[in-house]
Amino acid sequence: MSRKTPLFSQHVACGAKMVDYAGWEMPIQYSSIMAEHKIVRERVGVFDVSHMGQIFVKGSETIDFLSYVTTWDMRRQKNGDCRYCHILNMDGTIIDDIIVYTFSDEKYMLVPNASMIEEISSWLNLQADNFDVKIENHSDFYFCIALQGPDSPRLLGQYFNTSIGPFQFIEYDEIIISGTGYTGETGYELIGPSDKAESIWKSLLEMGAAPIGLGARDTLRLEKGYLLSGQDFSGSQNTLDTGYSWVIDWEHDFIGKSKLISQKKLSYPKLSGILLEDRGIIRPGCNIFFEGKQISKLTSGSLSPILRKGIGLAYVDLPLNSKVTINVRGNHLNGRVVQVPFL
Amino acid sequence: MSEVPDNLKFTKDHEWILVESDGKIRIGITDYAQDSLSDVVFIELPKIGDKFSGGDTMAVAESVKAASDIYAPFSGKVIDINNKLEEFPELVNDSPYEFGWMVLMEPSGKVDDLLDADSYRASID
Repeated sequence: MSRKTPLFSQHVACGAKMVDYAGWEMPIQYSSIMAEHKIVRERVGVFDVSHMGQIFVKGSETIDFLSYVTTWDMRRQKNGDCRYCHILNMDGTIIDDIIVYTFSDEKYMLVPNASMIEEISSWLNLQADNFDVKIENHSDFYFCIALQGPDSPRLLGQYFNTSIGPFQFIEYDEIIISGTGYTGETGYELIGPSDKAESIWKSLLEMGAAPIGLGARDTLRLEKGYLLSGQDFSGSQNTLDTGYSWVIDWEHDFIGKSKLISQKKLSYPKLSGILLEDRGIIRPGCNIFFEGKQISKLTSGSLSPILRKGIGLAYVDLPLNSKVTINVRGNHLNGRVVQVPFL
Repeated sequence: MSEVPDNLKFTKDHEWILVESDGKIRIGITDYAQDSLSDVVFIELPKIGDKFSGGDTMAVAESVKAASDIYAPFSGKVIDINNKLEEFPELVNDSPYEFGWMVLMEPSGKVDDLLDADSYRASID
């Protein structure tokens, strides 16, 4: 049985098509993925992402603990800041990508992906033995609404009478509001107790935001080259492989660091943008060929609603602009390796 | 509620079939099918002159989320294709029974095993 977010009845009322996603009954789309995608690029949309996790870490050694278990040195992060980083295994592979919120030296919040909440929780507990920290998984009690698009500052100002910069957050009437998102547009994520979700959702819709489903969430993030947990990394890739070395602070010790250092000087396949030059759509799992040989598979793939071209991500060890072909249902379509973001 | 015109025949794979006055047969996908696919963004059509046996994949309609095969509902030869769909695949969403038609075929044998509008309506209820 899939779980329902506190906004389930709102989605049904908006005419959403619901699908099972990571064990949750989530809206895939309300009107059309293409239309919803454009609304977020041009105006403003709201997403229910209440399936995402909220894990609090508290205690006198929280700052040292989180610096040890993530790729970032939290001693460099100010109260009221949040940051995107990775949690790695001992061998450097990514367990999940998360956003870490600093409330104080002794109170932090981590937002992991829905499918990784339990795994991250138990991993943190496993590592916590030598630290004075308490790990509290509050995911079941919180909603998360993403407000995204160029018009989102106006709505935030109108509803909360505030403004927030990128990767900053405030607490307002029990709601944590951060300058974060997964679309590449100006935007915010609102996290708070489940019983407040409906009134915020309804107010944002009344102010002109359109509801946006997971379908457009995926095309929006793919155009910006953002990673999808479980798909672009899935238990065997490390932070360097994904091309996200900017989430690493090399000046501190963290789990997985030695493996990453030893890989630094090598040549290795890196997650790269694949732009289709022929007409068509490329999908996750499509095989990629270079000079007649299969070299990789797409981890993500779709149509860019803005470029109207097939775009995807794949681990390849090829320079930019290398010509590749992508096998789409038996046809070899022409594409090339490009820099992400695609736009 | 999906639209199901009474003058058409249907397959269980959500294709519609219009028997033209000259015996040629026009094929597209139903309102129900376009709604499930949503946002058709790319259509791969056969070439004029291609021959298919009933059940062969003859075209593919792709939405942002998925690709969906379109099957030849019977054996025959492709007489014409809707070239408009190359530039405007969304016609399949906007006008599934008219401007969104896909293939015009000349059947090589008898065309049977098709559903009438009532049976198709019952199958998607």
